[in-house]
Amino acid sequence: MNLFAGKVLIVDLTTGQLSKEPLRMDWAREYWGSYGLATRYYWDAVSPDVDPFSAENALVIMPGALTGTIVPMTGRTSMTSKSPLTGTIFNTNVGGAFGPELKFAGYDGIIIKGRAAAPVYLKIVDDEVSLESAEALTGKGIFETEKSLEEAVGTPDARCLAIGPAGEQQVPYAIIGSDAYRQMGRAGGGALFGSKNLKGIVCRGTGAVKVADLQGFWAKASHYKETNLFDELNLWAKTDGTPVLVDVTSEVGVLPVRNFTQGSSERLQSINTDAIKAVKQGERGCASCPQACGKFTRIGDAKVEGPEYEALALAGANCDVYDMESIIRYNSLCDDLGLDIMSCANTVALAMDITESGRGDLGLKFGDVDFFKVVTEIANLSTERGRDLALGAKKLAEKYHATDMSMEVKGLEMPAYDPRGNYGMGVAYATSERGACHLRAFTLFAEDPFDTSTLVEEVQAMQNFNSVKWSLGFCEFWATLDSEILADLLTSALGEEVSADEIDRAGERIWNLNRLFNVKNGFSAKEDSLPEKVLNRKLEKAGPSEGRVFGLEDFEQAKQVYYRMRDWDENGIPSATKIAELGLDAFAS
Amino acid sequence: MKKLLFAKPDLCTGCNRCSYACSAAKEGAFRPSRSRVQINNYSLEGCSVPSVCFQCPGASCLKACPVIAISRNEDDVVVVDAEKCTGCGDCVTACPYGMIELNDNSCAYKCDTCDGDPACVKECQPGALVFQEKDPEIVKVKVLQMKQRSIEGSPREKRQKLGSAVMQATLEARG
Repeated sequence: MNLFAGKVLIVDLTTGQLSKEPLRMDWAREYWGSYGLATRYYWDAVSPDVDPFSAENALVIMPGALTGTIVPMTGRTSMTSKSPLTGTIFNTNVGGAFGPELKFAGYDGIIIKGRAAAPVYLKIVDDEVSLESAEALTGKGIFETEKSLEEAVGTPDARCLAIGPAGEQQVPYAIIGSDAYRQMGRAGGGALFGSKNLKGIVCRGTGAVKVADLQGFWAKASHYKETNLFDELNLWAKTDGTPVLVDVTSEVGVLPVRNFTQGSSERLQSINTDAIKAVKQGERGCASCPQACGKFTRIGDAKVEGPEYEALALAGANCDVYDMESIIRYNSLCDDLGLDIMSCANTVALAMDITESGRGDLGLKFGDVDFFKVVTEIANLSTERGRDLALGAKKLAEKYHATDMSMEVKGLEMPAYDPRGNYGMGVAYATSERGACHLRAFTLFAEDPFDTSTLVEEVQAMQNFNSVKWSLGFCEFWATLDSEILADLLTSALGEEVSADEIDRAGERIWNLNRLFNVKNGFSAKEDSLPEKVLNRKLEKAGPSEGRVFGLEDFEQAKQVYYRMRDWDENGIPSATKIAELGLDAFAS
Repeated sequence: MKKLLFAKPDLCTGCNRCSYACSAAKEGAFRPSRSRVQINNYSLEGCSVPSVCFQCPGASCLKACPVIAISRNEDDVVVVDAEKCTGCGDCVTACPYGMIELNDNSCAYKCDTCDGDPACVKECQPGALVFQEKDPEIVKVKVLQMKQRSIEGSPREKRQKLGSAVMQATLEARG
């Protein structure tokens, strides 16, 4: 079969039954893979009102349609399920090389249902699939777990998805780790593994991914790599990676400083891209990526692939910690014990704010370079403070009467771009299927960060295109891709015509399919909201964003423009016409 | 002077584009497990080490072949004649670096440098794989790799031994 492996692995953890089903090709042509296809399969596997932590919930893990090929930056894999943090449907995405390995083993995805009676891991070696006891790995970090799983398969070429103690303890922002420093990071995938007593998945694949016209496909991949990818707009990933954003966001006043109180800082020389370069050891790339945005750093015995921008901003400036070694230690601990560096750092900054304002005493203050030690308490739920911080920003704020200080949307902690200095990011956070997420649409580089009508147009176009881009396995950082290129590559891969129009429609279909799932769960315009702080409290020390809020009236107006543009009603529900146009009638209420 | 394939481990990012390219060129599909160049990944240490065929002078694989299916061509490259190969596997056992293996049809396969235009090198963006004439600097890097010989174990285990030693040396050099 061209491009696809043609099979999906079904795992029932309750009965221990493992089976293989043919891939639904009719779905594959409408949803392609990863984000889209996993969401389509998820709809089929659960009732929308399913409790995330129940045995009835399903986890659908899928690589992209182009994953396992030489098309640059297509190595990504994602999981769709319902989030324990937000109660919404969510898709969480990882680089590294697990996805290609799964394709080489002969699977387009894994659907996991049920709950094991005792800790297990899933072992996949080509056709041979089994569930094995993970009792001996209980409480172990991700680094050690991955090593043990590779040894169990007998080759370091095997690739893993694994959780640490935070996932086992079902901390709602626990991650699933892979290749040590890469994560399905956002909205609690690790907690879902934990709830199913699933410690990890190890996979070794020795098979092939085939395409219809290999020479033509390879030539096109090389052509687009040379003429489109290797463009100035994408080059930063190679030269600097995400740390380049530290100075950029500060300059435009959207860098979170002291729990999103200020928008810029004058103390960035110790945490910006130059500071990273000073301690950089080497460069790391995900499968098939010629850019290698991962910068591996080390200070003494502290080492990590990263820290990325989000860690530098949220654990650095936002906690008032301008100490690279502390941030590296924080990042590495989160990666090993299994916490989302973003949600965790955002929650720590809130705890600092609560403590300094006297609303509670969580024993954390801005500027505390030892703040990283709290990670162990959170991951293991070993102290009262750890258990408090493990609630996440929304519930922590509720407990300490500090909802005016918390920075989250639908319970997902906000990334490091303050929407008061870029209204597009506000609309993006409010309308993402999983809460405050910067990856669904990213308007940081918009010409006018306050021109809502243009920004709204951009946000919905990016959401649509990204939906299909990720379904093919691409990384966010090939920013200059377009649907013509995707269609051209797929045409050679499949040996049948794929049109750009088909690609565009798939993107819009996937976005609406996610929306409809949340609508079935009672989500509507009311939940498409922004934190009180964004709406009411003026941003300080923020250069061009000085004194800004994204006021309720402006925000609500932008939201309504967004709904109209999508052909959704004023309550944010997709119209019958739109649903019919996208062939989604089966999913409408 | 003839050109050879060399690996510079310090530059390898672990992306595996080389093995995608090699398998596409040689097997007609993306199948890194059958690539003639293999990457040993040490994600936790932030390091990856390519295993390449050194086209050894006095090649062990060539000497071990009982039916003279392995020879050295005019470019100094050690090549397998698939017509003559009986699939006995003596060459696999003999190679101290794990760089010759048997395919699904029990025929030995190894790197032939793609007739002087290696597909892997063209896809190696960081420049960790190079095809060039010998110079003192590259020879030093190669000698360190060639010292890591194993007489026992599977090809994968032999590569792993080379990979671990070279990874340690790389980390020491990084300081």
